[in-house]
Amino acid sequence: MFPWVNGFKWDAGHVIFLGAFYTVVMIVLATVVRALVRSRHHVRVEKVEAFRWKQDFHDLPARDRRCRHELNGEVDSRLCENGFDCRSCAKHPEFVQAAAARADLPKGELFGFPMPLDRLYHRGHTWVRKEKDGTLSVGLDELGARLIGKPERLDLPELGQHLNANATAWSAARNGATIRVLAPIEGTVLATGGPDQGWYLKLRPDGPQPDTRHLLRDGEAVRWMSRELDRLQLLATHGACPALADGGALVEDLGAALPKNEWAAVCGEMLLEP
Amino acid sequence: MDRSYIARGLERCTTRRFLMWLLPWTLLLAFGLYAAGLCLFKGLNQTNMDNRFAFGLWIFLDLTVIALGAGAFFTGFLVYILRMHELKAVINSAVVIGLVCYSGAVTVLMVDVGQPLRAWFTFWHPNVHSMLTEVTFCITCYLTVLAIEYLPLLLKNRRLRQVPSFLVFEFELHRVMYVLAGVGTFLSFFHQGSLGGLYGVLRGRPFAFREALGVWPSTFFLFVLSAAAVGPSFVLLTTWLVEKITGHQLVERTVMQKLGRLSGVLLIVYVLLKTIDTLVWMNRTVPGEGFSPQQFYGFEPFGVWILFAEIVVFGLLPAVVLLDARRRASQAWLLTAAGFACFGVALNRFVMTIQTLALPTLPFDRFLSYWPSWQEVGTFLAVVAYGVLVYSLSYRYLILFPQERDLKAR
Repeated sequence: MFPWVNGFKWDAGHVIFLGAFYTVVMIVLATVVRALVRSRHHVRVEKVEAFRWKQDFHDLPARDRRCRHELNGEVDSRLCENGFDCRSCAKHPEFVQAAAARADLPKGELFGFPMPLDRLYHRGHTWVRKEKDGTLSVGLDELGARLIGKPERLDLPELGQHLNANATAWSAARNGATIRVLAPIEGTVLATGGPDQGWYLKLRPDGPQPDTRHLLRDGEAVRWMSRELDRLQLLATHGACPALADGGALVEDLGAALPKNEWAAVCGEMLLEP
Repeated sequence: MDRSYIARGLERCTTRRFLMWLLPWTLLLAFGLYAAGLCLFKGLNQTNMDNRFAFGLWIFLDLTVIALGAGAFFTGFLVYILRMHELKAVINSAVVIGLVCYSGAVTVLMVDVGQPLRAWFTFWHPNVHSMLTEVTFCITCYLTVLAIEYLPLLLKNRRLRQVPSFLVFEFELHRVMYVLAGVGTFLSFFHQGSLGGLYGVLRGRPFAFREALGVWPSTFFLFVLSAAAVGPSFVLLTTWLVEKITGHQLVERTVMQKLGRLSGVLLIVYVLLKTIDTLVWMNRTVPGEGFSPQQFYGFEPFGVWILFAEIVVFGLLPAVVLLDARRRASQAWLLTAAGFACFGVALNRFVMTIQTLALPTLPFDRFLSYWPSWQEVGTFLAVVAYGVLVYSLSYRYLILFPQERDLKAR
């Protein structure tokens, strides 16, 4: 095993066999130590939320990772590879140009479902609205609000905390499960609200002109929401949303309408938490 | 009760039902541990092995289990090195199977060798010219690699990933998985090979002895190839079994067929090489040692039929079925062929272990028979129970089949 151990000889057998063994051990050890050191570093510089989203996005089923431009009809079939952050997507500007030429994007409300277009929508069912004072209001869209319903506990971020896009913005506990809601945009928390105020967070954006290219707007948001309602109908099997296509309406509180386990699974899927 | 530990969107039975499932396996494990304890504390007189019949049920089943567990290294090699992404659907399950198989085999070896407190002697004073030393080092290293590969699965548990350091460590481990897959392939190649090699170098046992290709006897390469061939088949069979027990579809049918095809390709190459090896052994090796091949097949029940069964019935036939796309598309054919392939490798390990030792080699030798004691059987049943328990817990609390949720939603 070692040169000083009885039985060791400096011959080809010992050198080749033990050399190969020590090489393997060193590779395995170095790999694990490297992973440990890098993990420690990432935890220290508070990159945990970025990793959480990377993992969550990677684990989302393909049907939940459709590119926004597929929903919009600009491309037949495309999976998002950028964690729904169109700002880092090379193809996004091309698709935007193509979309500008189209005039058939729907506007307004959906099945009696309010979709105010004064705000921008995130794929995790939150919205962002630029206020006159330069701050950003963040809230849950109508579907998100009906999904979560009345939470038993709300864990909002602390004032002054900086949020990154797609990091956990807040979490809501209900029916024995905790549902996390993604931040639609980066910014520093100035105030916290709740379901009764109609908004959850007031953020100070990172710059004077916050980059919102990754958020859905106008007709494409309506089209996306229509697809989300279809998805919800497929997921919820217990008749909480039985007849949207026939003019029926989504129940006000899905948390009360669905069995607990199914509700948690549906929330996870719709709010992009696999 | 344990719902918060189960990944969202996965359907699992109630805690009570799950505990009821675990109960008989736990009892079997307890019985097996008692049997193993007897062997460890009272010695190998608890077994029916002796100085003449030194390899018995344990070594035969160890070799089989290690060959079947090869799905872990081979699937890892295909996914992370050859980038066959569709096999990601079964890689997690393959890792758990590998971990169970290897840890179980190492535990049984520990009972077989005895004196576990002196196990470190093997590493401290290695005989570098022994195939068994190579096996010991490689299996220990590979078991460590498998444990590290299992770690990301574990850390991905819904509750554990709430701990920030676990979440990030899992991510970082996942990024270096190709390194571990490469190391695992290297180690598996050598220990699977050395397990075969240790029979091939038995010059005093002409039934097993084979001529060398380079420094290794031909059995070195045949063991590697046969293990790689049946690994995917065993992953396929276990996946189907879990589907049947749980009532959920876990992977796309195309993944099953892909596993079957991989098995088929490797199996046909193995059958070809095994046939050549047998012909060389019959016409050159055995006569060179002063024997005739018929001598080895004259002791019932080990007639020529066993050679035919090993190469044709459980080798060539499943290989042909698995290579035929039309037959592969039928689940009955696919599963039967995969089962035959796995049985074939088990038969090969049986022949190499039991038949080799049972046959007389010296004029005053007689044909020996051996039947395992209940302690030997009990010890191995403990490994089976342990495997079922680890796999069941992993299936319930970890994501073993990433396609499961998607398939359920369809």
